Amino acid sequence: MKKFLRFTLTLGASLGASMCVVAVAMAEHSPQHKRHELMEAVGDAARPLGGMLRGKMTFDAGVVMQSLTTWRESAEAFGDLFPAGSETGEGTEAAPEIWTDRAGFDASLAKFLEDTNTAIAASPQTLDAARPLIGAAFKNCKGCHDKYRIEDE
Amino acid sequence: MLRLILLAAVVLAVAGWFLSAPSKLSNDDLPAHQADPVAGERIFWAGGCGSCHATPIDGDRAQGEDRLALGGGEEFHTPYGVFRAPNISSDKTDGIGGWTALEFVNAMQRGVSPEGKHYYPVFPFASYARMEISDVLDLRAFLDTLPAVPGQAADHELKFPWSVRRGLGLWKLRYLSSEPVIAVAADDAAVQRGRELVEGAGHCGECHTPRDLLGGLQQEHWLAGAPDPEGKGRVPNITPASETLSDWSIDDLAYYFESGFTPDFDTAGGTMVAVQENLAQLEPADREAIAAYLKAIPARTAPDD
Repeated sequence: MKKFLRFTLTLGASLGASMCVVAVAMAEHSPQHKRHELMEAVGDAARPLGGMLRGKMTFDAGVVMQSLTTWRESAEAFGDLFPAGSETGEGTEAAPEIWTDRAGFDASLAKFLEDTNTAIAASPQTLDAARPLIGAAFKNCKGCHDKYRIEDE
Repeated sequence: MLRLILLAAVVLAVAGWFLSAPSKLSNDDLPAHQADPVAGERIFWAGGCGSCHATPIDGDRAQGEDRLALGGGEEFHTPYGVFRAPNISSDKTDGIGGWTALEFVNAMQRGVSPEGKHYYPVFPFASYARMEISDVLDLRAFLDTLPAVPGQAADHELKFPWSVRRGLGLWKLRYLSSEPVIAVAADDAAVQRGRELVEGAGHCGECHTPRDLLGGLQQEHWLAGAPDPEGKGRVPNITPASETLSDWSIDDLAYYFESGFTPDFDTAGGTMVAVQENLAQLEPADREAIAAYLKAIPARTAPDD
């Protein structure tokens, strides 16, 4: 009996552990997780751009291009990360409007990509040249968040 | 014995009736002041009047120029029932264009309508009571320059006992005061200016301070964060005790008010979006003053946080 109990417990524990592993692995590959990671990357890329616009960091044309490239890659990848079935779960802040107004959401993404590409094409070499280009691309963050993100807190 | 109880009930009722009577300012209380619509526009954006009173466009909140069409109609679903923002446009019959300056000041700072009825504190007169009367008069001068919008919003639909307006007189006895909430250094002009804007016109405490059972603000937890009045999530703590804001500099706060971007380049969310868009219309010095005040107030935490 004791042996059986130990066996059951061990089995239960290892089953539980492997289920946890599976759950984590699934979460890492879920659209909710991927788009969250991507959004974090956009935010990380925004920080030096904002720092330069605010005069808190020295202007660096190379860093500007690097950040803008991250933005371009993200803008191109985002569209595929909101499939049906990923509306909720894993603490996603995606708003239902993404699915009820898909055309509007796609247009917002396209605008972000367009403004980012314009800035990349211009390859600004001074802060004064970069300011309006980066500013225009930055506006897309708020525009899209206001409509397509819900705030839980 | 029965007679005694009856007598006590009558005495209480009579006392309650007198205590709950609307208390108003008179013309003698108004300062000699040439109302200035340009100065009033600053108060308008600090207060964000349009965020509640601008007529929604196709069910969505008004944006841009539409924030100046103050026909009312926005609904607020609360535990007390449904409140509807009234028309405060310059329309002489449906709006407030026909009001005297004194009637406007009494509405703003005493929560009393021209007909002598109490307003519900969903209209944040308990904050506006802390404004300078001259600022209130300037605001009126600015509102007079905005378009007249015809039509009136439907009445509130409230549950008993909240539906009894007279009871608000007792609420005001307890909660209505023109005294500042936080004592600040008299020689710090920016913090003083920030206090006027935050505690008065800006009415920040109405959402960021928790309320007690009677719906009054708990001043011992001033700006320490509260449950969202519309029922979802929390309005954040904005005192120096806030985990998020403690790392923000005055400059970071001012930049957030101007641009909507946090230091991490996240954007404002929820109802703060509209508030931030209003603050973006202020002069930089006013945004810095609000930030300086928020850094100067005592660190507090909310009772339920």
